[in-house]
Amino acid sequence: MLKKEYLFLVIMCVSLLLGACSDVTSSKSKEGNGTDKNTLTMSWPLDIGEANPHLYSPNEMFAQAMLYDPLVVYGTDGTISSGLAEKWDVTEDGKEYTFYLREGVLYSDGSKLTAENVKRNFETVIGNSLAHSWLEVVTIIDKVEALDELTVKVSLKEPYYPFLQELALIRPLRMLGDAGFPDSGNTVDGIKEPIGTGPWILKEADENHAVFIRNENYWGEKPPIEKVEVKYIADSQMRMMALEKGEIDLIFGSAQLMPSEFTTLQQNDKYVTKISDPLSTRILSLNTTYGVTKHKEVRLALQHALDRQTIIEHVLSGLEQEAHSLFAPGFPYSDIEIEKYNYDLKKAQQILDEAGWAMDEKTGIRSKDGEKLELLIAYNSSDQVHKAIYEYLQGAWKEIGVEVELVAEENQVYYARTKSGEYNIVMNDTWGAPYDPHMYLRTMLGEQQIGNYSLSGTDASGKLTEEITRVIRSTNEAERSSLYESIIQTIQQEAIFMPISYRQNYLVANDVFKTMTFSPQQFEVPTNLYEMK
Amino acid sequence: MNGMANYLMKRFLSMALAMIGLTLIAFFLMRIMPGDPIEAYYQANHIPVTEEMLEQARQEQGLDKPLFTQYITWLGGVMTFDFGTSFMNGKSVSEELLAYFTVTIQLALVAFLFMLIICIPIGILSAIKQNSVFDHATRLTIFSVASMPSFWLGFVLIYVIAFKLDLLPLMGWGTPQTIILPALTLALGNIPFYIRMIRTSMIEQMKQPFVTFARARGISESVIIRKHIFKATLTPFVTSLAMTFGILIGGAAIVEMIFSIPGMGRYIVGAITARDYYVMQGFIMMIGFFFIIVNFLADLLCALIDPRIRLKENLS
Repeated sequence: MLKKEYLFLVIMCVSLLLGACSDVTSSKSKEGNGTDKNTLTMSWPLDIGEANPHLYSPNEMFAQAMLYDPLVVYGTDGTISSGLAEKWDVTEDGKEYTFYLREGVLYSDGSKLTAENVKRNFETVIGNSLAHSWLEVVTIIDKVEALDELTVKVSLKEPYYPFLQELALIRPLRMLGDAGFPDSGNTVDGIKEPIGTGPWILKEADENHAVFIRNENYWGEKPPIEKVEVKYIADSQMRMMALEKGEIDLIFGSAQLMPSEFTTLQQNDKYVTKISDPLSTRILSLNTTYGVTKHKEVRLALQHALDRQTIIEHVLSGLEQEAHSLFAPGFPYSDIEIEKYNYDLKKAQQILDEAGWAMDEKTGIRSKDGEKLELLIAYNSSDQVHKAIYEYLQGAWKEIGVEVELVAEENQVYYARTKSGEYNIVMNDTWGAPYDPHMYLRTMLGEQQIGNYSLSGTDASGKLTEEITRVIRSTNEAERSSLYESIIQTIQQEAIFMPISYRQNYLVANDVFKTMTFSPQQFEVPTNLYEMK
Repeated sequence: MNGMANYLMKRFLSMALAMIGLTLIAFFLMRIMPGDPIEAYYQANHIPVTEEMLEQARQEQGLDKPLFTQYITWLGGVMTFDFGTSFMNGKSVSEELLAYFTVTIQLALVAFLFMLIICIPIGILSAIKQNSVFDHATRLTIFSVASMPSFWLGFVLIYVIAFKLDLLPLMGWGTPQTIILPALTLALGNIPFYIRMIRTSMIEQMKQPFVTFARARGISESVIIRKHIFKATLTPFVTSLAMTFGILIGGAAIVEMIFSIPGMGRYIVGAITARDYYVMQGFIMMIGFFFIIVNFLADLLCALIDPRIRLKENLS
């Protein structure tokens, strides 16, 4: 009796299913790849954007670095070597740079690299002052001249010693071919095509992936691999599954895997993992203009109460190296002897006792003249690593009578708080190459910057401000060295920063590569150096 | 049919009112949020800025004008389906939204169909076979499915079907196969509710005098179920389905993140972090508009199915 009823339902279901299918078959069909010997497949959390060499997000840096070249290149130990410029001269006063371009460099559309084209690139960037006014390498330029077909002279308004270092940045001073410029001539309006001189050419890009092919006319050493396919995978668990399934062969960078996820994969023999040299420093920044961290003895006590080893082992999965100095050795001007603050809870307590911060036996919290020893630590609620570090500190510092209030906030709210300086401690990592050390220190002079809140409440504020201002303009190498030494030592004595560890990048790959490596710039994936088995 | 026309008119008016309310909410809610697109842009790029730079940028983007002026300008655009340009990438919000929305709609539509395919037969069967083994098994299953978070279910589905059994692609978008897993994940969260709803409602209807009367008239059981009981169940079902379609579109965000689908969800999550006002406003308008239209259609459908609704409305 109910048979007809079932039949009705079955027919309905089938027709619905057909409807479902016809809804999508209109979209184009594409098949996945296999592991091709000459194709590198990797994941990336976001799409590459327009790949405009002169703008910031949503243009992804790794793609900009694959497509475009700078005049000079930042090397592993901070040395500057030739890029599109084969050599260069600097005048005695440090205000005029003459670049001699490499001969025969071709853009991906076959056009030649010329001095005029370099000038055009510089000028479009300088013209966009709104986007780049924070970056001195752009604002310091007075004029750019093309002296002949392959010679470019850049005159600066004032001497600026990190000029070459910042020219090596992935953006905004890399070169776009003439045919890539929009009709308005201004790349702020977008580019026509990503035409560069880099080792790779963008072949196709859609909402799922981007494909780069080797630039057969590349002026440098050509990449051993023919093709790079980048698949956009937003979720880290999915990346791990895609790696295991062979849909991708490489997960590059700490932005794609949490430390704990990395160590899980590390334990699996199937994969090859690699960790880079230090790229930047994880730093707790103490606000010397707010609450108890105004007092130097409190800052000193906290320095001795920071157990880096435990944080590295338990929160950072043992992946990072202990840091005591602001910048890792190997960065320019950064091999400086400093007096370390060793982890010593007794000493921390002694400092507080001597300074008159007495323990209240009932609450277990110290106080002095009615002021409780309370710290307000704020963080971006989506940052799991910061959360874990702070929760550990909250427990650990309770033992020496310091109460920690943790405030997790949405990114923009947190940002507003750091700007208004209403915190005792926040995270303030260094910038990494090629910015360190000069940019990190310079930013300390800017109002409403985290570094500035660390600096301005100290006795050495005037001295530091003067020295930081001077070091940027100095044209004398020896003078710069001694100024940096003095600055970094003063910062250490004032106990305003607490370096935790040197951040390193890592990668996980299937066992298909012969060579894999990192770049000194943390957002660059040097795929042109990768080689497959 | 005069009754129907009257009913339509009333519905249409309330719809227009809801739209105006929606523009107000979409616009002013965004401005209450702390932060703005200018700051977010600099922050996303780790650029240290001064107040001066911020002010200059705000001026350039017209964010320094009085709120009401900004609202009117924006509203003027909305009337012509111009939602402004994105702060993040400078592209037209309407075009971008439409492109991403097409993807999300496809996903939601397929999920919706999955829901119907699964809910209706199972719901009906477990109602007419009340207290059978099938009924018990269904109730147990839907109880367990209902208590699992949908993103987790998504991972389980991916792990078993795509990863271990290799039956469907792990991720991506563009082929018919890629839509099945995400749509199923999206549908699963809503399925238990509807199975229960259909089952309970059917059982309730079965006890109604009109069913006994129909039986007494000698009408076959299948006709009774189809034409009498199921039809009576339809009205509340259609109304809440309309709401669910909206929920599916909203819920697509998480599924899109997991499966790396280039849809509205992924787009909008980025826009929220970037405080991309026009994108968010456009999104709210689009979803709101969609909700209103779907509800309007559902009301219409109910009025067509059940004449009592339009008659009652006219009497009052």
